[in-house]
Amino acid sequence: MLSTRVIACLDVQNGRTVKGTNFINLRDAGDPVEQAKQYSTIGADEICFLDISATYEKRRAMFNVISKTAETCFVPLTVGGGVKDLNDFRDLLNSGADKVSINSSAVYNPKLIKQSSDKFGNQCVVLAIDAVENIKMPSGYEVTTHGGRKKTNIDSLKWAKQGVKNGAGEILLTSMNTDGTKKGYNLKLTKLISQNVSVPVIASGGAGSPKDMVDVVLKAGASAVLAASIFHYDIHTIYSVKKEMSENGIIVRDCEN
Amino acid sequence: MNLAIIDYGSGNLRSVENAFKNSININKLKFSIEVTNKLTSISKADHLVLPGVGSFPDCKKGLKDIDGLIDLLNNEVIYKKKKFLGICVGMQLMVDYSSEKKRTAGFGWLKGNFKKIEKKGLDYLGRDYKIPHMGWNNLQIENKIHPIVENISENEQYYFVHSYFLESKQNDQIIANTTYNHKIPAIIGKDNYVGVQFHPEKSGNSGQKFLYNWLKWRP
Repeated sequence: MLSTRVIACLDVQNGRTVKGTNFINLRDAGDPVEQAKQYSTIGADEICFLDISATYEKRRAMFNVISKTAETCFVPLTVGGGVKDLNDFRDLLNSGADKVSINSSAVYNPKLIKQSSDKFGNQCVVLAIDAVENIKMPSGYEVTTHGGRKKTNIDSLKWAKQGVKNGAGEILLTSMNTDGTKKGYNLKLTKLISQNVSVPVIASGGAGSPKDMVDVVLKAGASAVLAASIFHYDIHTIYSVKKEMSENGIIVRDCEN
Repeated sequence: MNLAIIDYGSGNLRSVENAFKNSININKLKFSIEVTNKLTSISKADHLVLPGVGSFPDCKKGLKDIDGLIDLLNNEVIYKKKKFLGICVGMQLMVDYSSEKKRTAGFGWLKGNFKKIEKKGLDYLGRDYKIPHMGWNNLQIENKIHPIVENISENEQYYFVHSYFLESKQNDQIIANTTYNHKIPAIIGKDNYVGVQFHPEKSGNSGQKFLYNWLKWRP
């Protein structure tokens, strides 16, 4: 049976991870390569790097991080952040990324989804949607860019459907209302999008405990759960999350304690 | 021994190369690896790997664009009996044809055709079956004595990402299945060639185990 995936996300700036992790056996705790390897060793089903570097020069460090990670980390690797065009796409894939997530650039250049999926296949195109509650929108959720700072006047559900039609193979759905709260994922939003698109939906934003992961799968139908900070501070591990999921009847891939 | 990973413009082959390198190093095997699109290198290699991502017609076109490559593969694999591994679309290309986008012929080494995974029904948690079939899934091993599945347990999982599956009445060519809504062939093969629907290069330790089995396999 297909496992529900648990994805560990790392924020990377200028080639270094921004938020700390508590892996005691790392030589360099700020090195995304070592962290990714550690996460994959302890059972993360995928690794996601989010590049938050501001300039292109700084972003080049990311290519090095990806290629080094891909040498030793044999699980799927998604990279997002600052992807503007097909050249960025190609550079990331050639560095060793398996999937590329696009967000703002898809909003400002909607053709990018179709172009990239035609060129590289829809299995590697992840449409990242940062949704914020807005009652004026037909679905109740508006698409935002730049980490939630810029409104777009685009309806999140319509955008998700259009993205899939244009070739996105997966949707990474972040609720900007729950992101960072550690009070749980946005179940209503996740359910709405997941029930209305044919591709897998990754729930993101708000995970504070293993129970939150269980809820978003059982109550909102998420295909995968993504979390960043909950794994970084050693309160919860990939193992404890998978154990809780498994005890609640969700099939997960075995991992080490 | 010399291993050629065939580069015909289908995505990044570094992951496949990295995963093989790791297996070769860890198991102290004596293999050299070349990622190549040169016919002379392919014909000199002892073993061949054909990866593939994207759509079936695009991959087929990529192969056809390299003049003489498809004929060479037929000759090396079917007549000269070189050991061969097809991965994902590389596996799909081994059969008669695929219906992805438009009907496109494969190599015809194995019987059957690829059609879209069925969506109807709900999974054990009441969720829709999402397409692509994406993520980690188990194998049901049908040919338990095949060296390629040695030491691989049905509890282990492999990373899949695909939307089409092999439909075939030829059961003796199926080494293992997986299940997603319905039965999906996961490892197929005959004589000196095998193909896998999953990505061993992205399947952690289980993937490494599979690659090691393939490397030491003496068909």
